[in-house]
Amino acid sequence: MEPYYHAEAVMIQVTQETRSGWHVIGVRGRADSEAADELEGTLRAAVAAHPKVAADFAALDYISSAGLRAVLQAARAAQACNAEFAVCSPSSRVKKVFDMSGLHHVLRIYGDLPC
Amino acid sequence: MLTMLEEVVLLAVDEKTGGLRSAREFGTVYALVGAVLFDLALAGKIDTDTETIQVIDKKPTGNKTLDRVLNEMMRRPDLNTVQDWIEHIYHRKADLEGEALESLIQQGILCHEKTKRLWIVDVERFPVVSDRHLQHVKVRLAEAIRSDGIPDTRDIMLVSIAEPCGLLGYVLDEKELERRRARIETLCTLETISRKVTRAIARLDGTLRQRMATKAI
Repeated sequence: MEPYYHAEAVMIQVTQETRSGWHVIGVRGRADSEAADELEGTLRAAVAAHPKVAADFAALDYISSAGLRAVLQAARAAQACNAEFAVCSPSSRVKKVFDMSGLHHVLRIYGDLPC
Repeated sequence: MLTMLEEVVLLAVDEKTGGLRSAREFGTVYALVGAVLFDLALAGKIDTDTETIQVIDKKPTGNKTLDRVLNEMMRRPDLNTVQDWIEHIYHRKADLEGEALESLIQQGILCHEKTKRLWIVDVERFPVVSDRHLQHVKVRLAEAIRSDGIPDTRDIMLVSIAEPCGLLGYVLDEKELERRRARIETLCTLETISRKVTRAIARLDGTLRQRMATKAI
């Protein structure tokens, strides 16, 4: 499937494609308060529709607390519908935020995409 | 829906006596400042990262306490870290607890009784009129701690503010809290605001200990 871009996205650009059984959501830009709702909505919709979802954060430059909450709540939604949800390839700046927040204690974070 | 500040203050009310468990301790004030910042974040007025805090929406929330803090934040762009604001609001000595109690009374959740002990000392009590909200707070806290799943954002925030206030002991017994210590620490670390509140309380404790040691010498 060809990646597509959300036309309304201002702060983040989202691409979606399916590879080897994983629905991969690529997120580019800044996940801050302005983008948090869109990010959470996109991830939630994906986990509701696909059994295995990978959020590819390789091109995510920045994540604020609002962005982090969006990821957490999407992971919560994944738990509720028994979908597998993995956060992958965070940039060093984003990984630093994940590490400080201890995010690895509550969700699966991979250095690379699983597919 | 109650604010985070109101939920934490409600939790500090002794259901049987109406007395306040927190008794306006210094560390609790820091945690209440954290609750106000969480309320502003939930209202979409501020956002934080690992250090900084910024106002993202200047429109008032309609809540007296939150709007006062929000206005203050807009007036002081020179203070831009979470730590700065926790310290700044703390040192303003605003009676956050008193304002939350007033609001809970107005909403018919608590009432206010003033009596005299030994005919001299004023004793204030805040008996619970309707315990629906208090039970709801307790159930959410207990579920967030007992479960291994990811809690709702508000519940993560609530655990991370109730813990430094020492209020979790009124929700679960000591043994269970000890058993779930790692889980509580995980939830308390997730948010920048609660990490900074914990650090501010630790620094305050250190300062107080140092002062006491100096006096003892």
